[in-house]
Amino acid sequence: MALLDVRHLTKRWPTGRLALDDVSFEVKEGEILGLLGHNGAGKSTIMGITLGMVRPDQGEVRIGGRSVQKERDRALRQIGAIYEAAVFYDYLSGWQNLRVFCSLSGWWDEAEVKRVVQIVNLNRAIHHKASTYSHGMRQRLALAQAMLPEPKILLLDEPTDGLDPEGIREFRELILHLRKHHGMTIMLNSHLLAEVEQMCDRCVIIKDGKKVFEGPVPSQEKTRRMFQLETGDIGLAREILDRAGATMDKHGIVEVPLSMEPHELVAALVRGNVQVGAWQPHRRTLEQLYMGLSSKS
Amino acid sequence: MTLFLQQWHGELLKLFGRKRTYIGFGAFVVLQILVFLLVKKFGLPTQRIIAGAGENVDYYLSALTVASFVMGVSVFLLGALFLSLVAGDIVAKEGEDGHMRLLLARPVSRFRLLLLKYLTCTGYAVFLIQFLAWTAFLLGIMLRGWGGGYFALVPEVSVVAFYDWGPGLLRYALSSVFLGISMTTISSIAFFLSCFRIKPAAATIGALSYILVDFIIRTGGFMDSHQHLLITKHMAVWGRVLAETIDWPLIWRGYAVILAVNLTLFTLGYAVFESRDLKS
Repeated sequence: MALLDVRHLTKRWPTGRLALDDVSFEVKEGEILGLLGHNGAGKSTIMGITLGMVRPDQGEVRIGGRSVQKERDRALRQIGAIYEAAVFYDYLSGWQNLRVFCSLSGWWDEAEVKRVVQIVNLNRAIHHKASTYSHGMRQRLALAQAMLPEPKILLLDEPTDGLDPEGIREFRELILHLRKHHGMTIMLNSHLLAEVEQMCDRCVIIKDGKKVFEGPVPSQEKTRRMFQLETGDIGLAREILDRAGATMDKHGIVEVPLSMEPHELVAALVRGNVQVGAWQPHRRTLEQLYMGLSSKS
Repeated sequence: MTLFLQQWHGELLKLFGRKRTYIGFGAFVVLQILVFLLVKKFGLPTQRIIAGAGENVDYYLSALTVASFVMGVSVFLLGALFLSLVAGDIVAKEGEDGHMRLLLARPVSRFRLLLLKYLTCTGYAVFLIQFLAWTAFLLGIMLRGWGGGYFALVPEVSVVAFYDWGPGLLRYALSSVFLGISMTTISSIAFFLSCFRIKPAAATIGALSYILVDFIIRTGGFMDSHQHLLITKHMAVWGRVLAETIDWPLIWRGYAVILAVNLTLFTLGYAVFESRDLKS
């Protein structure tokens, strides 16, 4: 079931620049979806529209079946978000900051706040002033405020931006923990391929305001069976593979159709007198997918 | 209502959580003490008027008369500046710093968020004036002690009146409330400007400039036949509660104009803010 449904979003800035061009995708319950694209591709604009902070020229976003554009308050009750850089009131403590943000949701439950603070591992510093927090602690505080009060879906805009490698790892583990143990649905937005690859189940790639890909993150693909074929008889091999219903790209990556087993395909190649130098499983990386899409467009 | 109060509590927590708010109060107290010391050393400029009216100077040079003078000077010198600072920051600074994006990621409408902020900055204006009124009163008590009369003088609305202690105290308290309400207009102007995508300082300076130009035009006599178009003319109506016979219709008319101006400024500010895309 789609918890978040982005439908035909189009947005042109007053300067005339087209920020989004008919972008549609959905986030299913319990999944982590990565929104990937270069700087200025339109990822944050999608986030802004999803939170009702940016008005689309066309299209709408539905959260749990409710349109953000038509009933924003009700739709946003199901969401927790970090939108752009998380900035806190430095003169207040982490706890007071949470109180300010939660007050807008008309909610405050000390026990639940303490539980979330524990999850994000801020319990020792929560009563210190936010001005004393490191960047990593601020991100964790931002995550805590997004998790209160119990959203169904988390929207995270560049959540690891500016974090050191250790901070990125901690944050990644936290996100995966939230999905695994709290069943959280998450949409995160990033230009870091490795981050999306390691955290997300599916990804949407945006390029110059257009969606150029929506599907599983390659490393998470379980249904596609890809193999690297090394042979000197490329032409002959392609002929036999075509006949068998398999495809091979220019780098010798063969995708085996579901109707046959990989060893049957190798047998067919050998029977057809193709000298098979090597045949090994191949995992496509997100980087290869992303760069492939970039070079195509 | 509970939800609204809970949300307002968050807004007040921000206002009263920062040092600058208290530095402001501190600055006012320092200014009041300075004025108080000058009064102590040189006396009140109004003493001659009291004597000229044939009244007992010692009786009417009371804590209330001193407080009235100290409060008047401090509101004139710092009041507009400080209220513009607070109201000019209230939307623009949150937009500039990026807090607004986190606030509006919550299930709260822009109208409600602005209403909370507007009530905070106008409520703050009333609170600040009350603070000034009663700290000035405390200083007056320190100088002249409890009791005596009250000489009320508001040249802007041609009010000159003499009261005994009890009625004087009541009029002083009443005038401080009405002055606070008048000052909400300065907050409203700064709030309105703050709703635009501008620097907080620009909203503050814009509001201050408007009030100053309006005041100069009014006191300079440039628009004598069109005084009703000047907001400071209506703001000065607070002084009428000090007249011996209070002209309530005139006062309500003045506050009706102030209310209309404030509501218009809030509505326009909201319209501007609502039409904005909030993205860096």
